[in-house]
Amino acid sequence: MIKITINGKNYKVKEGLTILEASKQVGIEIPHFCYHPALESEGSCRMCLVEIKGVPKLQLACSTPIKDGMEIETENERVIEARKAVLEFLLAGHPLDCPICDKAGECKLQDYYYKFGLFEDRFEEEKPKRDKLFRIAPNLIYDQERCILCTRCVRFLREITKTGELGVLNRGKESLISIYEQELIENNYSGNLADICPVGAITDIDFRFKIRTWFLERKKSICPICSRGCNINIHFLSPSFPFKVEKRVFRITPEPNVKINGYWICNLGRYNYHYIDNDRILHPLKRNGELKQISWEEFYEDIGNKIKILIRRKKEEKIGVIVNLSLTNEEYETLEIFFNKCIPGTEIITFGKKSGKEDNFLLTEDRNANRKGAGKYRFKEKKIDILKFLNKKELVIFFGHEITEHCNIQLLSEALKDIKTKVLIASNKGPLINLVDYILPSTVIAEKEGSFTNSQGITQKFYRVLEPLGESRPEIEILTSLAQKSGIWRNFLMTRRAG
Amino acid sequence: MIKSLVFLLEFLKGLWITAKHFWINIFFNFLKLIGFNIRDRGSVTIQYPEEKKEIARRHRSLHRILTREDGSPRCVACMLCMTVCPSECIYIEAEEDPNPEIQKRPSKFIIDLSRCCFCGFCVEACPEDALRMDTNIVELGEYNREKLIYDLNRLVRISK
Amino acid sequence: MFLDILIIAIKIILGISWLLTLTLILTWVERKESAVVQDRIGANRASILGLRVFGLFQPIADAIKMMFKEDFVPPFSNRFLHTIAPFLSFFFAVITLAAIPFGDEITIGSKVIALQIVRMNVGLVFILAMFSLGIYGIIIGGWASNNKYTLLGGMRGTAQIISYEIALGLSLIGLIMIYPSLELNEIVKYQGSLLFGFIPKWGVILQPLGFFIFLIAGMAETKRVPFDLPEGESEIIGFYTEYSGMKFGLFMMTDFVEVILISALVTTLFFGGWQVPYLYPDGFHFPWGGNILLNKWIVTVLQVLSFNLKVAFFCWLLVLARWTFPRYRYDQLMNLGWKLLIPMSFVNIIGTGLILILV
Repeated sequence: MIKITINGKNYKVKEGLTILEASKQVGIEIPHFCYHPALESEGSCRMCLVEIKGVPKLQLACSTPIKDGMEIETENERVIEARKAVLEFLLAGHPLDCPICDKAGECKLQDYYYKFGLFEDRFEEEKPKRDKLFRIAPNLIYDQERCILCTRCVRFLREITKTGELGVLNRGKESLISIYEQELIENNYSGNLADICPVGAITDIDFRFKIRTWFLERKKSICPICSRGCNINIHFLSPSFPFKVEKRVFRITPEPNVKINGYWICNLGRYNYHYIDNDRILHPLKRNGELKQISWEEFYEDIGNKIKILIRRKKEEKIGVIVNLSLTNEEYETLEIFFNKCIPGTEIITFGKKSGKEDNFLLTEDRNANRKGAGKYRFKEKKIDILKFLNKKELVIFFGHEITEHCNIQLLSEALKDIKTKVLIASNKGPLINLVDYILPSTVIAEKEGSFTNSQGITQKFYRVLEPLGESRPEIEILTSLAQKSGIWRNFLMTRRAG
Repeated sequence: MIKSLVFLLEFLKGLWITAKHFWINIFFNFLKLIGFNIRDRGSVTIQYPEEKKEIARRHRSLHRILTREDGSPRCVACMLCMTVCPSECIYIEAEEDPNPEIQKRPSKFIIDLSRCCFCGFCVEACPEDALRMDTNIVELGEYNREKLIYDLNRLVRISK
Repeated sequence: MFLDILIIAIKIILGISWLLTLTLILTWVERKESAVVQDRIGANRASILGLRVFGLFQPIADAIKMMFKEDFVPPFSNRFLHTIAPFLSFFFAVITLAAIPFGDEITIGSKVIALQIVRMNVGLVFILAMFSLGIYGIIIGGWASNNKYTLLGGMRGTAQIISYEIALGLSLIGLIMIYPSLELNEIVKYQGSLLFGFIPKWGVILQPLGFFIFLIAGMAETKRVPFDLPEGESEIIGFYTEYSGMKFGLFMMTDFVEVILISALVTTLFFGGWQVPYLYPDGFHFPWGGNILLNKWIVTVLQVLSFNLKVAFFCWLLVLARWTFPRYRYDQLMNLGWKLLIPMSFVNIIGTGLILILV
């Protein structure tokens, strides 16, 4: 620990930090564009200039390490004047097309101008004209006019993904960031470039022009796409938005968590959010010749009675439950209590999504959010023959459509024909819809709360971000209500309390 | 009692004022009747449907969307008017414009005049000077709510 | 005998049509005068076949509207009393007309016809009595509506009219002391004589204070602004709040009829009635010499015209007052009546008596 003085106040901080990091630790913001906590500091933007006593010139806070007894001024007149000058230089070539810029509202250049700038434009020269629609990746557009050459993107590709597709071309005022020889950025983390760009130079085609950022709200959640459990921010349309729009979620950005995902998420997790709003099952449906909307109470009554009868007839083994691997720990526990403990003899098997390719950074091979969580309980996950499992069952409950990835759908439908009652609890429409009698809408991850255990064994809690769409309910609620109607309620409560 | 008497004096004064107004106005109204063109004496009433008041230069009336030289609307769908609108009557959806100089254009631009309070904030917020409220059209009554919903084409057409 | 009845009937019909026509015109005058006073134009849209005539058809439009509006009787109210109240009010206002002389008498053949519906020797007392009975319309109307606010309005009206009735009556005592009779035509005739040989002996010259008190008390009797506390349409809720349609119209017309009658009374009692200065049954005889001899029919026409002009002037004045003053507060109203007008009329009586003794 060493002593430093910032703006006349004494602080004790760890050794080896830069001035910017140290002042951030004690709660003093120093404006910056090019500094990023996960990247090597380069000092190209000159925004973080601070005054150090005894040093004649202003110094870069992002790359000057602290020394014992250092006296730093971050708010005095000289520093503020310098910031103003830096902003004026940056804005000299900036097109100021904030009205059509997607970054507007969360743009550092805008924020700092309002905080430190507020000067009148003194340049009489024409702003330089450059390529505004430069495609650098299939999902990214680079606007050369808006770029302030902080090189965050270049450093990200060099240091984090180690692919280095981008570089700075030319010199002086002609310099710009570009790909080499028309080779687009094709790595799985390119979406992060739009996040780390402090201005609107790199914009995401998926989000481009969809909505202005100030209409969005963000809440933390966990990415359910793979077993990594990356922390994400879900950007959804603010409830105060006065118009009815079908789309609720507009983009997903990483939430920094050094233990799991650092500051990044992969493109797979970033762009796979459309399932939250599209193709959702909205109401409980019952097939009676054709699909008809029923109320939840009717469903609980029907299936509860079936379970009750099967228990009375001592035919528990006729009940089969097929669970996917993306439920929360709490839901697995409820399943365990419901079926394994209260109705011993029932069979629960799990089927996850098929494994995908892993990259060597965040994305894992296992594309199920909570295989570890399910593994704690007595669910069978052996390579059993699904057709044999379904044979002679009277009641089958499916959680999710994952089973169809593992068997021939033709064979499955034939096997299901003999089963009296088939129930599907799923959030989205899928191949199983045509094969079952009861279709119940469950919530997606963003609409429920619970916890996931990721592949590293870290259990993370997440909370409800959006209101459930339509009549959908979380699985845990469905199971609890069903337990009430199945004649095992007393047992269920006792077991749960004991657990 | 004396106070009441003083009041009475004031009452007489009041009667005098109204009587004065009466006879002066009768005089000027008579002059008007026999054909003199007097505007500001007599009555100041404007007989609305027949005569109309001159609309002030700084008035705010029906919106219009200005166009570029090629006839496309100037609006770039920045949604600032939608953001600033206190009565939430403007709705915009954006799309990509093929011209890289313009980039963004509205695919939907709806002003619901049945909600509009004519505050003019949208005009002030517009960074492209695309929206103005200077059409002099103030008689906007309709028998049908749907007719009060102005879309992009209609707003551009007003401008022409 | 039959002829007499016919003549009386014709006189009644003529008198009432005169009154009602004037009432209609007065509603138009009220609108237009207020407009002109306030630099406006006033109602001018009512038209028949595109003909507007300064909005003169507005009263007709009003009447049609009144006729066709729903006649609503509030539930739990006394239907009979509720219905009779406006008629009482209107009746007692109109009947006062009977004693007012429009001119001197005319002779057709051997028949002498007075231009007055009934020539009664208690004319003045009759008028005062009928004015007082008008209270019944107000209090019954307010009470029968089964609404505490209308009842309060009716009570206010009753108290106001009774209070001003005293001042009204007392202000006339001075006149009665001077004039030889209570019969109105006699009073008018007396006012034709000259004071000092050249000033007409009009009541206003003999009794200026009495005129003043009578005018104010008369305005209060009409229940119009600034004395409209019984009504107070928009603010304090008056006695005819629960009335609609033509019943409401009758109450409204009562006000206008009263305005006309007060004007007629002021004219008759203080401004020489049908008298034209220096006009005698055979023509003008000016005190400074010089005579213009006229046909007696022309004289009669001049007399009736004179009466009507005077009435019109006072109608104008009362409407002007209505559009000049704000409403009195109730305590101010009572103070004015009891603490100013009544003492002043006593002073007037004593003063008149002293002068009569001295002269």
